[in-house]
Amino acid sequence: MNIIACVKQVPDTEAQIKVKADGSGIEDGQIKWVMNPYDEYGVEEALRLKEKNGGDVTIVSVGPARSMETIRTALAMGADKGIHICDAALDNADAFVTASALAAAIKGIPYDIIFCGQRAIDDDSGQVGAMLAELLGIPQLTLVTKLDFAGSSVKVIRPIEGAQLSIETSLPCVVTAQKGLNEPRYASLPGIMKAKKKPVDVKNAAALGIASDVKAKVAKVVPPPARAAGKIICGDDAAQKAAELARCLREEAKVI
Amino acid sequence: MEHNIIPIGIGNEGREVFWNAQGFETILFILTAVAMAIFAYGVYQRWTLWKAMGKEEIRWDQLPLRLKSLFVNGFLQIKTWKDAYPGIMHGLIFFGFFVLIFGAAFDAGEFHITEPLLGWSFNRGNFYLGFAFLMQAFGLCVLIGVLMAMLRRYVIKPERLAYKGKSDNTADDAIALLFILGIVVTGFLISALRIRVTYQETPWESVRFVSWGIATYALAGVETSTALTLHKVMWWTHTFIVLGFIAYIPYSRLLHIITTPANHFFASLKPTGYIEPIRDIENQESFGVSKLEEFTWKQIFDSDACTRCGRCQDGCPAYLTGKHLSPKKLVQDIKTHWLEIAPAAIKAKVAAVLAAEGAGVAAPVAEATEGTASGKALLGDVVSMHELWDCTNCMYCVENCSASIEHVQKIIDMRRYKVLTEADFAPELQLTYRNMENNSNPWGIGAHMRADWAKEMGIKTLAEDANVEYLFYVGCAGSFDDRGKKISVAFAKILQAAGVSFGILGTEEGCCGDSAMRGGNEYLFQSQAQANIEIMNGYGVKKIIAICPHGYNCIKKDYPNFGGNYEVYHHTEIIADLIAKGKIKLTKSQDGIFTYHDSCFLGRYNKVYDQPRQILNAIPGMKLAEMDRNLSKSFCCGAGGARMWMEEEGERINNARTDQAIATNASTIAVGCPFCLTMLSDGIKDKQQSEKMVALDISEIVIKAMGLEETKAPVDTCAT
Amino acid sequence: MAKGVFVIAEQRDGALRKVSFELASAARKLADQTGNEVSAILLGSGIESLAAELGKFGVDKVFVGDNAALEPYVTEAHAQVVAKILKDNDALIALFGASVQGKDLSARVAAKLAGGLATDCTDVKVDGGKLVAIRPMYAGKCFGEVVFNTTPGMASLRPNVFPAVENAKAGAVTKVDVVIDAVKSKVLEVQKDTSGKVDLTEANIIVSGGRGMKGPDEYKILEELADVLKGTVGASRAAVDAGWRPQKDQVGQTGKVVSPNLYIACGISGAIQHLAGMSSSKCIVAINKDAEAPIFTKADFGVVDDLFKVVPELTTACKKLMA
Repeated sequence: MNIIACVKQVPDTEAQIKVKADGSGIEDGQIKWVMNPYDEYGVEEALRLKEKNGGDVTIVSVGPARSMETIRTALAMGADKGIHICDAALDNADAFVTASALAAAIKGIPYDIIFCGQRAIDDDSGQVGAMLAELLGIPQLTLVTKLDFAGSSVKVIRPIEGAQLSIETSLPCVVTAQKGLNEPRYASLPGIMKAKKKPVDVKNAAALGIASDVKAKVAKVVPPPARAAGKIICGDDAAQKAAELARCLREEAKVI
Repeated sequence: MEHNIIPIGIGNEGREVFWNAQGFETILFILTAVAMAIFAYGVYQRWTLWKAMGKEEIRWDQLPLRLKSLFVNGFLQIKTWKDAYPGIMHGLIFFGFFVLIFGAAFDAGEFHITEPLLGWSFNRGNFYLGFAFLMQAFGLCVLIGVLMAMLRRYVIKPERLAYKGKSDNTADDAIALLFILGIVVTGFLISALRIRVTYQETPWESVRFVSWGIATYALAGVETSTALTLHKVMWWTHTFIVLGFIAYIPYSRLLHIITTPANHFFASLKPTGYIEPIRDIENQESFGVSKLEEFTWKQIFDSDACTRCGRCQDGCPAYLTGKHLSPKKLVQDIKTHWLEIAPAAIKAKVAAVLAAEGAGVAAPVAEATEGTASGKALLGDVVSMHELWDCTNCMYCVENCSASIEHVQKIIDMRRYKVLTEADFAPELQLTYRNMENNSNPWGIGAHMRADWAKEMGIKTLAEDANVEYLFYVGCAGSFDDRGKKISVAFAKILQAAGVSFGILGTEEGCCGDSAMRGGNEYLFQSQAQANIEIMNGYGVKKIIAICPHGYNCIKKDYPNFGGNYEVYHHTEIIADLIAKGKIKLTKSQDGIFTYHDSCFLGRYNKVYDQPRQILNAIPGMKLAEMDRNLSKSFCCGAGGARMWMEEEGERINNARTDQAIATNASTIAVGCPFCLTMLSDGIKDKQQSEKMVALDISEIVIKAMGLEETKAPVDTCAT
Repeated sequence: MAKGVFVIAEQRDGALRKVSFELASAARKLADQTGNEVSAILLGSGIESLAAELGKFGVDKVFVGDNAALEPYVTEAHAQVVAKILKDNDALIALFGASVQGKDLSARVAAKLAGGLATDCTDVKVDGGKLVAIRPMYAGKCFGEVVFNTTPGMASLRPNVFPAVENAKAGAVTKVDVVIDAVKSKVLEVQKDTSGKVDLTEANIIVSGGRGMKGPDEYKILEELADVLKGTVGASRAAVDAGWRPQKDQVGQTGKVVSPNLYIACGISGAIQHLAGMSSSKCIVAINKDAEAPIFTKADFGVVDDLFKVVPELTTACKKLMA
């Protein structure tokens, strides 16, 4: 079984994100780079499929040279080989360009199932998996929390607002992993050592024959409005405070 | 040679050595030779078992220190005396026997050497009288000791001679005790029967007060002829028991007469709690220990030095809160496993050598014998995962072991295998490690926030000014935990008030790595240590102060392995010094009763027992009440050994410790460790003592006593 | 010249979801600014009657694709139809809901059209006749202004952010011939959450109780609040240790790490071990009678009062607001 897991290197969740003075992007000097956590669920699921059904797992990533660390991390977890699409022209790639690059690389190799994270925690777009599926002309199953493999098809659970869908689709397909799908493993030290020697193919845009023109461009990045200091809800009694809190949650925080 | 031997009598008091046993010499010699042969064979067999398995480790360097350890721990038995009853009990038997053996040697020496060769009977006159008295006195010691042992083992039945209520007692225990009892009882009776017959001619024999008493009271009515016969019978009984005892030693728990002192000789000479790192980790193929033979020979030998005395179990926080781990059981289980698989390992080695000779090629290393020999895996079967992960690394077992057994290193070695080789360990610990990898702190709070506590305090980082006397290594708790930050602020204020020259690393500081190392993640630990050392050495750091005993211990003892050599102080050492030098004044009275909780990594690991108490005693108005378990017998808070980051089963260790603090009626638990502070604060809440009790770091108490405590309104509550 | 502002309406079980009206209202604004019409795409089976409702919120025209193959929602089928309508009608702007379905659909449609898409937008405007979308990135640590090099400019809008404003328009129905190529996915089962109990890690709203809850039975008031908010009940370690709640409910360093939109901490003091498990929540509410509890330093909204009084009142207030 040929399993593919797409990964992206992103700043750690806790990293301090500083917007560049000219608004062209974020300052990335001090950032700790990690594998996108949702991609980790994808890699883990890929490895579990492989362990159950045999086959091999190929890691594909689009990103600058440092992304190699993330590919190695996935290899340390147990993946077999990697493809690193590395090209300065892709530095500002949007979801479509990224998906095109992934699709071009994947078209050249056999695949039965492709895992992506449901979104990357840097741009928070959540588009690449679905776009990749479309570009490869195969079905997509997004936000999956449970996957059962049945030979030539898969059955998944994907939660939607207020319900859970059980969906079946034939292979090949793209599955995007949601939190809850599994608990990613911690790489063993022998795994880390072995990963250093596993093959990773480095490819550029020209080799894949893809255009790097973005469709949606982040023209400007701005810092968020300064977070107001915690607000203590005042009121004469508990009922008043509760009513004011409910109003704040709805009108200010817009969370209910 | 002919010698004139002065007859025994008044003025030349003595005793005929083979009295009433003339002619038994030859047969005694033969029997002794047989017993010695059985003994020697047993020791030899054991020797092959000791050598059967385990990796190389040098434990015979620094001979003077080793001999000192042998004398202090093996002969003086300093550690056994820490517990009165078992200490006295063992001391009576050990020292009693020691003297009795000298006595037997004197007799033999005189009878077989000095008399026939030199015509010199040295055991005469006053020397003899003293000798005879001592023999009886020490014989009595052994008798009392062995009766105490029997009373303790079979009547008192202390918990430490059991595991979860199930007694450890074996037939071997009873046999060993009966041997000892038999030797002294028959010894007394032989003399008593002799005295019964000869007391009129040998009135000086009253120095043998025990036997004299028996002879003159209990045996007064026994006919002389009967006494002579009984004497012969008793003589042989005594002989058989003594020789049986000697022959029995290597096959029984009595072997500890050899293995325990040997283990003291081989004991680690490193500072307490030093953990041997995995050296050259990048080029290793296996990590940690999953099979017995992956331990060093000394780690295996440890188990043969164990006497099941249970001192370790007596203060083990895991065991005492009902968890699976008992250090005693762990070591005993390893011993049983070793005895099961070692013979097969020897056979495999021999077979490998023979095969190599036959084939004319180098002998292949004897492959893992485990499984084939016992069908048991070290990890899982012999040592359960519960036992492996229950340990808080508190060091109670190692510090209080009277056989110099090193439990903690074994546990860390086995954890290393689970974490590094198998990556099979608790998910919550995985999260902690990821957090440490990504943000260099166990909570995973953004690394850029590490120095936020110091904002507006006017503390310079070494990047701003490296020309300072001390580096204040703040550590993760002091940097990220709101509670811990209060300690950092308090201590920094103390340093500032005392005019101490210091700086911090700011966001260049990283996690010390202690939790990673003790949780088996040596790889992560080494990367954290190396990152810190690189920064510290880059600034030419020489002296470091830490407010967390974990960082303190780790930088002091483990960083030197990676090129980080510093003078490391705990903040209580610095504060005590500042008080002593009059640099800070404690003027504001602090009322109430305080109790001090000895943090394991400060106390047992580093013997910093006095300074925290000196500080507390220097505070006006303060009354210090000690908990029952203190100093080297202090009870862990439950957070060490990476347990801080793991879920706990059953009764919580921190609650057990809090109960001990509550028993002192203290209103404040003073601590010197942010981990302990968290655990005891939680304990106070769990035990619903928040109204009556608070846990504070010593620096916070000092700040109060200095009158520097700031009272800041917490949140802006609604003015009503 | 592209024309038309499109909204892709979302319906479930024959009822329009609220986000559809929010989309319509946002689209209306953009259409008015560019002098365009608002068109809605409404797909499903037997749903034509819903078009009128969209009209009420400013939709001029409704493209209705009524076909059994479009019910329930299957990405491949819907994407084909939506892409075709957008393409055939030369759409300038297309707005989707940033719901699970909307996100799934929008990305597939964008790829079919080889176009640009901005996800989970919190604001949209037009500049030079083209869509500009504002959206949070890096979990809200910054915002990006997205411009489009292709038409239509596509965006999915975060639910509950854009107001649904009534503005009656025609809502005229145009029926679409639905032609669907082979679809490989099949919905086998729709399991409705009658309990409303989503797993903690997936929950949007968590109502959590700690040591201050005093006992297991008192959690009832949290459950009632959670029911109203369609949230899940969590607990601190202290509450789990005390045996008041099962281990699976534990939030924190040694329990579950959660990041819901709303985290309501009741009687939780906020020890670092707990904060490590929930501090990435988008909005944190603390209810605690101890004003010194560290949780207040992390809270967006704090109520210093007895939780046993506040929580039931809050339940009542929320019920009223959400009715």
